[in-house]
Amino acid sequence: MFDKVVALIDKKLERFDPIWQAENGVGGQRSRYYDKTGVAKYREWRGVKDTLVDYCAWLKNLAAMAKMVASAPIPCLKGFWEYRWMGSYLGTFMFIDRLFEGYRNKELKIAHMHMHAIVLSLTGRIAYILSHDRRLGASEEKSAHLVPIDEVLPPLFMTGFPDLYPVPLQTLPEFIICDVDQHIEPYYIDVAESFGIAADVCSRCAAETGVALDDAFPLIGKALVTTNMPCNASEATSMFQRRRIGMPDYQATLAMIHNEPEALPFSRKIMEETIAFIEEQYNTKFNWDAFFEGAKRMNEQNTIELEKWDFFKTTHSPLVGIAETLYKLYEWQSVNGTDPYFNKVDRKVIKIMRQAYKEKYEPYGGRTRHRAFLWGPSAVYYTDFPTWIQNCWGINIVLNMDSTMGYNMIDTSDKDKAMDDLTRQAEKACMRHMAVGGWNNVNSVWEWAKNFNCDMVLFNDNVACKGMNGVHALMEEQARDLGFHFIFIEHDLEDSRTISRQDMRKCVNNYMSVVLGEEPLDPTIVEFDDSAAY
Amino acid sequence: MNTALKIGGKLGMFALLAFVGTFGIYMFNVENKLIYYVIRPLLNKHYDSQVRDRRIV
Amino acid sequence: MKDLKHLIYFESLLQEAQNELVNKAVEDGQIALGYNCYYIPEVLMNLDGCFSSRLRAPNCTSSDVADYYMTTRNCPYVRAILERGIEGGYNYLSALFGAENCAAMERMEEHFFLINPVKNEKFFVTQIDPPMKGDKTNLDYYKVQLKLKVVDELEKRFGIDVSDAAMRKAVEEHNDLCRTVTEIGNFRKLDNPPITGYEFHVIQLVSQVCPHKLILPYLKETLEELKTRKPDKEFPYRARVILVGSEIDDPEFTKLVEMSGAYVCADRYCFGSFPSREEITIEEGETAFDAICRHYLYWNQCARFMDGFKIDQRHDIVAQLAKDYKADGVIYESMKFCEFWSYEKILANHVLTTEKHIPCCTIEKEYALGAVGQLRTRFQAFIESLEIKTIQGGN
Repeated sequence: MFDKVVALIDKKLERFDPIWQAENGVGGQRSRYYDKTGVAKYREWRGVKDTLVDYCAWLKNLAAMAKMVASAPIPCLKGFWEYRWMGSYLGTFMFIDRLFEGYRNKELKIAHMHMHAIVLSLTGRIAYILSHDRRLGASEEKSAHLVPIDEVLPPLFMTGFPDLYPVPLQTLPEFIICDVDQHIEPYYIDVAESFGIAADVCSRCAAETGVALDDAFPLIGKALVTTNMPCNASEATSMFQRRRIGMPDYQATLAMIHNEPEALPFSRKIMEETIAFIEEQYNTKFNWDAFFEGAKRMNEQNTIELEKWDFFKTTHSPLVGIAETLYKLYEWQSVNGTDPYFNKVDRKVIKIMRQAYKEKYEPYGGRTRHRAFLWGPSAVYYTDFPTWIQNCWGINIVLNMDSTMGYNMIDTSDKDKAMDDLTRQAEKACMRHMAVGGWNNVNSVWEWAKNFNCDMVLFNDNVACKGMNGVHALMEEQARDLGFHFIFIEHDLEDSRTISRQDMRKCVNNYMSVVLGEEPLDPTIVEFDDSAAY
Repeated sequence: MNTALKIGGKLGMFALLAFVGTFGIYMFNVENKLIYYVIRPLLNKHYDSQVRDRRIV
Repeated sequence: MKDLKHLIYFESLLQEAQNELVNKAVEDGQIALGYNCYYIPEVLMNLDGCFSSRLRAPNCTSSDVADYYMTTRNCPYVRAILERGIEGGYNYLSALFGAENCAAMERMEEHFFLINPVKNEKFFVTQIDPPMKGDKTNLDYYKVQLKLKVVDELEKRFGIDVSDAAMRKAVEEHNDLCRTVTEIGNFRKLDNPPITGYEFHVIQLVSQVCPHKLILPYLKETLEELKTRKPDKEFPYRARVILVGSEIDDPEFTKLVEMSGAYVCADRYCFGSFPSREEITIEEGETAFDAICRHYLYWNQCARFMDGFKIDQRHDIVAQLAKDYKADGVIYESMKFCEFWSYEKILANHVLTTEKHIPCCTIEKEYALGAVGQLRTRFQAFIESLEIKTIQGGN
């Protein structure tokens, strides 16, 4: 009876469903937006059940944010007042909406489980950091157990210091927020450039430099750990950050050519020195038992991840696109075994995936035409790109390069082996596993794409990335030889002014319409202006 | 019994009103419109007027 | 001043990578080893039986094919080198010892084994993973990398004697060359030097791109000549500057600065003599190889070093050079699209100006000097400001 009522309502209201509208030529995803802004007149109607799922997720996220403010009201308000980047977090709801446009059924459910984990973790972290921020009034003593570490250094090793609180320093003002608001980092990039930093350097690092020069990092902790990861500009920006932050620092310079056997002893030594530095600066001892507990969580995370990969290889995975990419990036790089809630989510998600496989479930209502491996860090001002490319052209982003970060297991009983394993994993961090360390790492993309049954490789082409610019023609030649559809999608990582979202879409539109001669699934999102959207 | 029914009814009514209210906000994207058109422009005005300690050190 | 006897010959040697002396050495059975960066110790490539050749792409006017491979958004130096390789300009090389010192350089060197532009059946490429700090851990890694990817390869592939005795001999010969070039360079400390910055740049470059054994007699003769060379009656420049930065392998750039009115009294850039012409000392109980690694890591001034000691050392050395060579100011140069130097020149400009009170000018340039009008204007304005400062008594 209930199902019949729901079906009836769905039938009556289907004309509001943008997927139905696109299929029937009477509109689509873009129809409900105010021009340019990214502000929807009303939220997406997904049918009764899925709209309620989305509504409940919205409520839960709202509650998480309310809890954040309630847990530290004064620091949060001060944070909003002090930091420009904090204001951008108000765009989170709009961000979540655009990430999961067109999502229905199981993929919507999983997407929200993932996103809620991120929201919970982030809101908790924001409240904690702001309430320990000396700039906002916290005492030296109160802030003394926070350890600012470079965001690209995986924080698993910090589980060995249960009395300390690791803070991937650039994550809040830069790494995460540029996903939420495409207009925030250009401000910091301009600050960096006003001091003379060239406009052609990697915009991510220029933005980090800008945050440092603008004095917009929270003031926390007693000592800083920087790193050479992932590449040149991030090494260079560390010079500015360490000076501005002005605390004792240790540079965790892991091997760049990380696949060769002689790299491991060196990188391991660096990890050991990093730990020793924290012991010395924070007057504490590395706790192996606590670390092994963290390593167990990380192992579980990776074990489940590897099982997920088996499902990704099929056409029956309800974990797709940005729901996979963003969660994996945050879970691996930022959580990295430090938060058991993520293990809980993983366990639930893998159950849904197993069930979906049994049911021969097809995501996106079976509207997928191509399976793509996404190479390269996304243009972070366009995180909903995987969503758009599926909704517009039926291209399912099966896996992203950054989802293949260190997946080796860590020994949880032998300290010596554990240190080796930890090092191996840390060396293959974000933007590093497949981008740095030699041609073979880059060239492995074809093998990955083949293993995941992809017919297409999308190469996110950061115009300021010297390393990736350096393999342009070789990649194109390889794609031709191996018979992959291959699209270079130019972007400028965190600077949407250089290459806009529409410019990125155009790269795909041209290939799909001119080279492949295909028609879009939703014509309203082929070409549109969202330059004023967050 | 009556009191219980009354409380239950009130709670039910409250839940219904809460649902209608929040669902209305959700469906018509009210919070995002408020943030985009009112709160962020005000905050940006404040951020733009900040004097920041901008230097290399 | 009277022309230096060998200057025109030196200039001719810089017209192409495969110059007359390179050809002669190869004909004599010497093995030519290419490299791009100070991280690869020149001295190791000058063991008996082989010689070093620091890669340049003189007179490169376009890099069309390299642009196809690496895009136009990449370092113009590496594109020029790749282009020259594809054109066949390095076919005399038997090896290229590369370093993953920056992403652009690394990718360029990869092309040397992926598309095989060098037509020489012996040719191979290795790339070391160069350290980013100056401490012992990084020194040990540097040793491992150099042993594996340079020394062992020389022995295995070419049968080069890499024993301690052979290395000590190479160090001695290398030091002889360094002493000669340093002595020549020391003339620049004089108030009215008998050598121009341009001439020294040419001399320093030939010492890097020609087989040491063949170029050294010419350098020694030039040194003797300089001892008696009479400078112009009056110092013809309005100021003295140090050039600091990345790859400057075109002496025309130094000439441009000098024609704008400033004497280039010291060269602290890749291809310059600071670092590269410091003598290597072998401590008691130390192997020659260990001494070489220690020396090269200590003196290396690459902008990619991240630790406080090396960052401060970079600035301190420039300040010390300014003092020793009586420089009025420093010109920081970076190659277009260079991430490291783009950052370093801003930081160094800040440190030198505000902390060390040495006036600085920062510029960005292409590899090939094309339209130089803008640069000339910048230099002239900087020199004028230095001049005014001097007139005002340094305030």
